[in-house]
Amino acid sequence: MVRAKDLDLVAPDEVVIEKIEPKLQTSNKIDNNMKEFRQKMYDVLGHTKHSLSSFLVKPKSFKFTEQDDQEEIILVMRPHWFTNVSWVITTIFMLMVPTLARFLPVWNGVPLRYQMLGILFWYMVTLAFALEKFLSWYFDVFIITDERVIDIEFNNLLDKKFSEAKISMIQDVTSMVAGVSQTMLNYGDVRIQTAAEIPEICFEKVPNPDKVIKVLQMMRQEEEQEAIDGRVR
Amino acid sequence: MLPDLSGYFLILERIFAIIGTGLYLIFAIVIVKQVSMMSKNVYDKFNGVVIVVSYIHLALAVFLMLMSIIWP
Repeated sequence: MVRAKDLDLVAPDEVVIEKIEPKLQTSNKIDNNMKEFRQKMYDVLGHTKHSLSSFLVKPKSFKFTEQDDQEEIILVMRPHWFTNVSWVITTIFMLMVPTLARFLPVWNGVPLRYQMLGILFWYMVTLAFALEKFLSWYFDVFIITDERVIDIEFNNLLDKKFSEAKISMIQDVTSMVAGVSQTMLNYGDVRIQTAAEIPEICFEKVPNPDKVIKVLQMMRQEEEQEAIDGRVR
Repeated sequence: MLPDLSGYFLILERIFAIIGTGLYLIFAIVIVKQVSMMSKNVYDKFNGVVIVVSYIHLALAVFLMLMSIIWP
């Protein structure tokens, strides 16, 4: 009888130890595989050169409100820098207008104080125009995290739109590079069809659409693997 | 003989200037508000600079408004 009691005390521990060891080994193996997989993904994406870049790979300082504690940002994109060229040229032209106005006979008929006020007002309008365009570009961000894709739009300083879809909900990804500038500078639209409430998320005029598609494909594979391993958050 | 209307025109011009700069001031306030809100939503290194620029823009709008009122 005594022997049976001892066995009861010892046996459960032995069994538990036998079960834990393979589990730990498996989880370490999965973690290593995950790290390798992520590294491959970052190799595809390359490195970010500047914090104001349109293609921020694994940004250290970038955060957004809806981000979960464990959520890792893989890629942040803004429209390609070339999309800013048109408003920059317009701004330069607007800055030159007061100088050109001096040559108009009508302008010389306006009292000096109103000329001064008019010029000041014009420069302010120019500043506002440039600021609005810059802010629309700066806050128009597309984010790919390890869990979802997010599109934050900021139009005309008054509209804010937030749309997201889980990576596992992505059904189809297509890219479109059209026109001379897009072909030359390698930027275009990436359209993501989802099974979520928002049927489509579009990353407009983003750099390297081919890399974005490749990464989304890898992310979907990773997500599928996570589901198989039972590691879905 | 037509009466001298130049005085009325000057008053009218001033009213238009005050309304114009007033609207501009509202726009500048909206920019500051939106930039602050967006900076909370999307945090990046460069946000500080953008916020400072939006406040400078607001200060200039206030200055312009005062100019349109005070300028003789």
